[in-house]
Amino acid sequence: MDLVIALTINGLVWGLIVALIALGLSIIFGLLDIINVAHGDFFMVGTVLALVIAGTTGFWIALVLVPLLGLALGLVIERLVIRPTITAASLTIVTTFGLSMILQETVRATFGAQAQRMPAPIPGTVPLFGLEYDIYRLFAALFAMLCIAAFFLFLSRTTLGTWIRAVRHDRETATALGIPVARVCAFTFGLGTAMALLGGAIAAPITTVEFRTGIDILPVSFMAVVIGGLGNLKGTVAAAILLAVLEGLVSSFADPTLARITSLAVMSGVLFVKPNGLFAGATR
Amino acid sequence: MASRIKWAGIAAVAIALAFSPLVLQQLGSLFWINVIAEIMIWSLLAASVNLLLGYVGLLSFGQALYFGFGMYGVAIGVSHFGLGLWPALFLGVFAASAMAAIAGAIAVRLTWHYFAIITVVFSLIFYFVAMSAKSITGGDDGLSFSTPVLWEAAGLSLTDRVTQFYFIYVVCFACFAGFALLVASPLGMRFAAVRDNEKRASLIGINVYLTRWIAFVIAGFLAGVGGALFALFGRYASASYMFYHVSGEAVVWSIVGGAGTLLGPFIGTALLILFREVVSGVWENYLIAVGALVILVVMFAPRGIVGIFNDLIERRESKDDRAAADIKSLAEMD
Repeated sequence: MDLVIALTINGLVWGLIVALIALGLSIIFGLLDIINVAHGDFFMVGTVLALVIAGTTGFWIALVLVPLLGLALGLVIERLVIRPTITAASLTIVTTFGLSMILQETVRATFGAQAQRMPAPIPGTVPLFGLEYDIYRLFAALFAMLCIAAFFLFLSRTTLGTWIRAVRHDRETATALGIPVARVCAFTFGLGTAMALLGGAIAAPITTVEFRTGIDILPVSFMAVVIGGLGNLKGTVAAAILLAVLEGLVSSFADPTLARITSLAVMSGVLFVKPNGLFAGATR
Repeated sequence: MASRIKWAGIAAVAIALAFSPLVLQQLGSLFWINVIAEIMIWSLLAASVNLLLGYVGLLSFGQALYFGFGMYGVAIGVSHFGLGLWPALFLGVFAASAMAAIAGAIAVRLTWHYFAIITVVFSLIFYFVAMSAKSITGGDDGLSFSTPVLWEAAGLSLTDRVTQFYFIYVVCFACFAGFALLVASPLGMRFAAVRDNEKRASLIGINVYLTRWIAFVIAGFLAGVGGALFALFGRYASASYMFYHVSGEAVVWSIVGGAGTLLGPFIGTALLILFREVVSGVWENYLIAVGALVILVVMFAPRGIVGIFNDLIERRESKDDRAAADIKSLAEMD
């Protein structure tokens, strides 16, 4: 029973981190109409940068620095790679795939191929539902939740956020109203990238750090985006948490591979019955 | 004229391939015989992507699944059932086509992003199944087997690398010839009609769903032949070849070569595999260069290498019709 509770809470923690990453994927998708195959590798770059920066200056500085570096990285990539190739969406899959290769190999060349573990920045455990639970994991969940809340506040309360929503809703009218659409798109790509790197920084102490981790996180974030409904941000959050808890539960009763197969089967079921996602019809 | 140049180019590639092992044998570089054989095998997977993307307008990111079914069909056929070469080959290709028929029935209901995503989902499901069913598939370690005899009476065996090369050559040649006939046939016209305008196609009486499904099954067949040949070539099958990264590479090969052209997948596969073989010997992190190359091709030649070549021929052919050619290429971009 303890195992079930622990894995359910683990699923919840992981789900919140995945939700943050999937939101980045979703906002890029909604605005630029790109299937960003390199998004998982942005997460991986975040874990590596967090490990490196935490090793020299401390974890808390890494938590601030990594998303800023992510924003810069996203803006550069948007300008150099995405904007010149955005003419057809099938082409952007190919360019982001090329980008994914470059990111993985660069990390392998500089950081090494060995998987590393990062010590928890907040050691110790707290009693929770009758078991001793890592403090850092609770902090990670809370922090991810705060970031998600900040993201939604940013979208609804600030001018830039309003512009992003306007461009998502109707690009032509937004252009006519004088919104700098190209710049809004560039910033959105940077923001999405920053969210993936931030997710990586939060997850670094509870996962392995190596150049391959992006390959695992990408399908999970895509599943959250699809089940939530393409472009539906709140649905994405709900789907990420549901999927992670489901995977946690199934892997406590069976094994992790079966858990992954289950959530993939759930996803193909959703795509088949409701191609617009489980939460379609809500806010778009 | 233009089409004559294209056919001459295709014939030149076919003849050059046919003679390459003899020349390479003279030069003593036997290693490259296997590289070219591998290029031909993988070009079938790229052709499978190309049939869907270039001729029917569906981007599949999961063709490695059917490659994997072809691969496992042969490997399981030989090592578990003790089948000979031809029955095992047939089993692999049949398994791949059957899987494509089932997955396609669901997938082609969806289009565009949804289609791309559901193809990845299917391939991921079976990737995890193959990874966990270690007793049948060997999981990540793979399933090794010894090569079955090709034709005992004539003393032909795949252990001889030149014989193996010609075996692969003949099968690939047949597949590409069949592909050429297919896209020129009435069915190929239906593919193009569905790709260009789905609504108009259905208005003139084309069953869009059925047309897409047929294309999906044929694409699965092509990928399955590739996978079956690959298993025979490596005497090995492994779940890692079913991962979506392999599908992604096939999409890259197909687009770099030129989607919607007959020879594009082959040229793209050849270029990137040769690039890998040459650069990886010098530089350990050659994938950085591959990634950069892919991005540069998409930036400067979005219609692929063969696409540029075709454009050049058409331009020379009719300078006056340049406006018409531009309109045509714009229409194809959609």
